Amino acid sequence: MGLLAAGIGAGIVAVGAGIGIGMIGKGATESIARQPDAANEIRGAMILTAAFIEGVALFGAIICIILALG
Amino acid sequence: MINYFTLLPSLIVVLLMSQTSVLATKTVADDLGESESPIDIMGTVADHDYFTFFGTKLYLPRIFLWKDANGKTQFSTYKSTKKALASGEFEQIDHVIKPVNGSILVDFSLTSHLIYFWFGLGALALYIVFAGSRYKKGIGTSSAPKGALQNLFEVFFEFVRDEIAKPNIEGENYKKYLPYLFTMFMSITFMNVFGLLPWAATATADITVTAILALFTFFITQFSGTKDHWQHVFWYPGVPLGVKFLMIPVELIGLFTKPFALAIRLFANMMSGKIMIIAILGLIFIFNDMYGSVAAYSVSILSVAMTSILYVLKLLVALLQAYIFTLLSAVFIGMAAEEHEHDHEHYDHIHAEQSV
Repeated sequence: MGLLAAGIGAGIVAVGAGIGIGMIGKGATESIARQPDAANEIRGAMILTAAFIEGVALFGAIICIILALG
Repeated sequence: MINYFTLLPSLIVVLLMSQTSVLATKTVADDLGESESPIDIMGTVADHDYFTFFGTKLYLPRIFLWKDANGKTQFSTYKSTKKALASGEFEQIDHVIKPVNGSILVDFSLTSHLIYFWFGLGALALYIVFAGSRYKKGIGTSSAPKGALQNLFEVFFEFVRDEIAKPNIEGENYKKYLPYLFTMFMSITFMNVFGLLPWAATATADITVTAILALFTFFITQFSGTKDHWQHVFWYPGVPLGVKFLMIPVELIGLFTKPFALAIRLFANMMSGKIMIIAILGLIFIFNDMYGSVAAYSVSILSVAMTSILYVLKLLVALLQAYIFTLLSAVFIGMAAEEHEHDHEHYDHIHAEQSV
């Protein structure tokens, strides 16, 4: 049961993180296309935000690992 | 034509040899009562009492502070786990070493992750001392930097200064925190890159290492916190009185989740990279067990290609995670060390006017 929960949980975590990072990528590429001069600053902001989303996703992943092992 | 004729027998010989060696390992595994899976992913990633250097296993000393049956505190050192077990004072139950009578107070034993932590920091220290001696001689300060190593040092340093420290920490304050940020960036980079060696352990793929690194950031953030930082924690400005009390636990939890997320992020990224590579290479052995060696050989083509691509990705991730850790440290420190020149009521006033 724990394994099942961990598997489903990891899948949902991946979906959420994928949507989030996809939206960041969309926003960043659109803004770079609109204003290529600010590409460096936008890239920095993009990585920072992606890192935050990744952090949340990894919290979920850690809980899945705990479920799978415990 | 000759090539084909010489290739075929050699291929058969290789296939037969691999078959026998697999059988041999299988019987050994059966004797030991190992699990069904031919690869042990978590066992490979975990911390060990030995470290591998160029393929040779070197056992590490075990150091214990323990309490014996009479309640007396003892300090004992052994050259390896085997020696500790041979002394008769310790026994091993489920990979955990314990005294026969009594209990362990502190286990000071060296482990593979610790050794690679030291390797990373040692290599970094050598590099920094080398670069520092160059600057002392005046190369780089009065003339152009010389050689690839010093130029690389300049690239790293300017990257940390201009991309991480300056934009995130207000004013001239960044100079105070630049040494810390640079040390953090370089040590994480060195540890991550050391972990890319095929036989090596990644020190940053251990939660204790990343937790200690994140704790440094936590304490520096708190100690550099200005009055405004603490006001935001305990008496959030610009909100109604009831919300002020509501914000206290939220902000207090926020203080601790920031370094926690830092530690987990670095740990999980480095760990997942390792697990992925072992799992994809492990496919070869799993196919060997399930469908025989021919399937294993055909899978190995795909596995090796994918592992090579993953290695390039891991090199990118090694640098990117060091960057993200340092960047977030800088952001947190910058947020805490920031002094608000305008009071919030003034801000609210302006916003209210604009919205009207």
